[in-house]
Amino acid sequence: MYIMKSNKFKLALTALLGLTLSMSGLHAVKIGVLHSLSGTMAISETSLRDVVMMAVEEINESGGVLGEQVEAVVVDPASDWPLFAEKAKQLITEDKVAVTFGCWTSVSRKSCLPVFEENNALLFYPVQYEGEEQSLNVFYTAASPNQQLVPAAKYMAEEMGCKKFYLLGTDYVFPRTANKVLKAYLKAQGVPDENVMEEYTPFHHQDYQTIVAKVKEFAATGDACILSTINGDSNVPFYKEFANQGLTSDDCPIMAFSVSEDELRAMDVPPLVGHLAAWNYFQSVKTPENAAFVKSFKKYCVKAGLPGGAKRVTCDPIEAAYFGVYVWKKAVEKCGSFDVDKVRKAVYGLEFDAPGGKKSMHPTNQHTLKPVYVGEILKNGMFKIVYSSDGLVSPDSYSSYLWPDGNYPKPTGGPNGDGSL
Amino acid sequence: MNRFHSVIPFVFLIFACFSNLFGQASEQQINESELLSLLKSLAVDDDEVRANVITSLAKSGDPQLERFFELYRQGSVYNWPDESGKVRIVVNEETVMDDDFNEFAPLFEPINGKPFIVNGKQAKPDLLDLEDISPGRKIRTLVNSSKFLLRLFSKDKDVRISGIKKCGDPPFLPEAVPFLKEIIDDPSVDEKIRWLSKESISLIRFSGKLEGESSLSDRINALQELGELNSLRANARIKNFQNELNELYADGEITAGVKRKFDSEITKVKGVLQGHKDSVELAGNLFRGFSYGSVLILMALGLAITFGLMGVINMAHGELMMIGAYVTYEVQMYFGHTPDTPIDSYYFAALPLAFLVSALVGLVMEGVVVRHLYNRPLESLLATWGVGLLLIQLIRIRYGDNIGVNSPTWARGGYEIAQDIVLPYARLYLIGLCVAAVSFVYFILRRTRQGMLIRATMQNRDMARSLGVRTRNVDRFTFALGSGIAGVAGYGWTIIGGVTPDMGQTNFIVDSFLVVVTGGVGELAGVLFSGLGIGVLSKAIEPMEFGDFVVGPVWGKVLLLVFIVAFIQFRPSGLFAPKGRLADKK
Repeated sequence: MYIMKSNKFKLALTALLGLTLSMSGLHAVKIGVLHSLSGTMAISETSLRDVVMMAVEEINESGGVLGEQVEAVVVDPASDWPLFAEKAKQLITEDKVAVTFGCWTSVSRKSCLPVFEENNALLFYPVQYEGEEQSLNVFYTAASPNQQLVPAAKYMAEEMGCKKFYLLGTDYVFPRTANKVLKAYLKAQGVPDENVMEEYTPFHHQDYQTIVAKVKEFAATGDACILSTINGDSNVPFYKEFANQGLTSDDCPIMAFSVSEDELRAMDVPPLVGHLAAWNYFQSVKTPENAAFVKSFKKYCVKAGLPGGAKRVTCDPIEAAYFGVYVWKKAVEKCGSFDVDKVRKAVYGLEFDAPGGKKSMHPTNQHTLKPVYVGEILKNGMFKIVYSSDGLVSPDSYSSYLWPDGNYPKPTGGPNGDGSL
Repeated sequence: MNRFHSVIPFVFLIFACFSNLFGQASEQQINESELLSLLKSLAVDDDEVRANVITSLAKSGDPQLERFFELYRQGSVYNWPDESGKVRIVVNEETVMDDDFNEFAPLFEPINGKPFIVNGKQAKPDLLDLEDISPGRKIRTLVNSSKFLLRLFSKDKDVRISGIKKCGDPPFLPEAVPFLKEIIDDPSVDEKIRWLSKESISLIRFSGKLEGESSLSDRINALQELGELNSLRANARIKNFQNELNELYADGEITAGVKRKFDSEITKVKGVLQGHKDSVELAGNLFRGFSYGSVLILMALGLAITFGLMGVINMAHGELMMIGAYVTYEVQMYFGHTPDTPIDSYYFAALPLAFLVSALVGLVMEGVVVRHLYNRPLESLLATWGVGLLLIQLIRIRYGDNIGVNSPTWARGGYEIAQDIVLPYARLYLIGLCVAAVSFVYFILRRTRQGMLIRATMQNRDMARSLGVRTRNVDRFTFALGSGIAGVAGYGWTIIGGVTPDMGQTNFIVDSFLVVVTGGVGELAGVLFSGLGIGVLSKAIEPMEFGDFVVGPVWGKVLLLVFIVAFIQFRPSGLFAPKGRLADKK
């Protein structure tokens, strides 16, 4: 009895809502947000949800997309990789979203990729990754290996004069592939094998005493550096131990590929001063557009009452997640439709303004042309940009260092759908 | 701006200053206005002018300049046209935001680092008004090495040490040798600093970069000196030298006899250094084992009470530790401790608070959930797991995922107990905390009336009750005690690790149970021995190498677990099995 009543009530309510919506002439296009809000990855992914919501709010305030308001459907895959596929399916088939923004770890992306491919749906993926992929159903708005790893190693060798490289990472696919690329690159540069060390730690590894002691011995020659792909909560104990055993960035600089402004919020920064990170965006990028972006992100966090409030910072994945929404919007407006195939075609070669400056999408391979920056950690948890590439660096989905014979898969996207222009 | 016009006066100025500088003692400081005018030429778009200025400035040995060089290399030195249109040379490293999140760049004087005052207050222009004058790579490299030279004169001991060390590192700074000799000859200087200077001089000579002393026999002499110094930095460089010798021999530049002579010298020194290295490694591994062991004991001690004594499979143990860590964070915020304005006393104040708050949470947990589940281990496992999830999500909603506990300043760095053996202060503190916590628990259980009641209740609840012990109260107290100790562990953790809502599940819970089970459920001494044993064992396994295969942390953990599984097969009740009638009950 009660259930029936409540069902009727719901029906009535939905009808009423539908009526008001159609009366006011408001249509809403749905987009999916697929980021972990609980579990281990929540530490990183929550910020991406926040910035996508901010972009949606901005777009709606300025009149929506093709005259339609954007409605974000937020789901929580809870850092559970198979759940990503399930939630993606729900977004595509039940909520009928026009596009999805989401994922952080490569394993989560690989988990839901078949769903996007089967249903011919679109995913915008905002995190730097190991490459070796170019699904037509994904647009990668963050770095491929040649836009982060290789320039960073080059910087360490040429600018910092490093001759020995300690490759240290968390034991999963990104660090393993990244280190393969790095090793191949270093070899090509004539660095002898004995000057390259490689080591992995399990996820959530906390006791870095032995490793730091080894680094100390390795770096006793005074010309060594660490290339770190340590991910997540292991970074805090690693940097702490490093400093506590008396090592500084002068003894052995650490170049990190997974430490951004957001991660630094959780660290005791003074001992880290002078260590480095390579990204395609820093909060300290000096443009009026970026100042406005940082300002509105902080304001949004305060207004929405998000934890951290005014102390929140922007970082590379946050920028990539943010402009991803705008790339989609621009592409939709360019082709005048929400249809996936049309939107995809419109994305190729699209030029757009991001907070960090002008960027463009690759004409055929799903990735983004971006500048490369190296930043030094400052005492206030920001980065001082000490290197920036000349203009945009074109992305390689397959690293030439992993395919020395050059027979890697060629781009399959582009306006004709066959990699040609 | 007409570049030509601006360069000429600078060049004159530079030469004027050069003539002042040459031949002067290293301690001499140039006066500030002279320096300032020199600095302006760094903004000139001519690398030769820049390089000349830098080399001469470096030779001045003015320690104030060290910071400036660092900032200049980093690109934090700017030209700033002030309101009158006059271009000033200023420093800005970090920006600040007002309440509306507009970004400004507070300016500083380039040399003395004081705020740059315009009209009575610090100038804070928009960052975009500053003109970047950062140098190219060639100049940056030069600035960097000059920076280390200047550090030799720094008043700050750590800065000075880093300068001395870097002079002996590639690309080597032979021009530093006279200054290093001065340091060695100055008996008022710290022993360690003089030792390092000796080491660096020998390293420079060993590299063959010192003019007049670059022959092979000079270098071998330097190596022998380094052997006497037990220099590990030299040990790392020997291989390069051997390669060089081999090449020379292959090119026919030295004869087989000469090479043999050198080789035997090298082998001798290598033996000495290897011996030193081995003992450093042994001592280091032992200390690391003890320190890891003490962390494990701290983690497991609370669980040894709630699970070991009381038999509650307390899956929320990790979350109780997490609460201790967040209490530490709250206390830090309350004291206003930040890296810039350290108030180290917060860390001591946080200890009792972490204990009390976690104990209180434990008390509530016991009253609401756990007390209904005594003698129902499976249900208690699920229920406490649920409580743990609840606590995680509550903390996540309140704090988000990213907070930083800033260690007290004294916890940074370490104490060099013998040459090359550094014991980090943070680790020493944790060992101390572990000893204190174990003694505290031992004292309560063995030396107080309450402890006696606890032991009586846990051994035979019915008998204790019939003798008039209020076992409900005892349960409450015991659970709260175990929870409080967990809070202390979380508090101690903040000094070496990170703080996240799910730290309990990801870092603590498995290891804690591992220690308690291996030690023998119900015995505090078991926790002590198994904690230390696992700690020392895992730190002994991790650095092992078998040919090309390095065990490392991933395989180290696997091997450790295999070892423990095997151990439990032979001693199912752990290291310290309960004996006698008690054994039947458990």
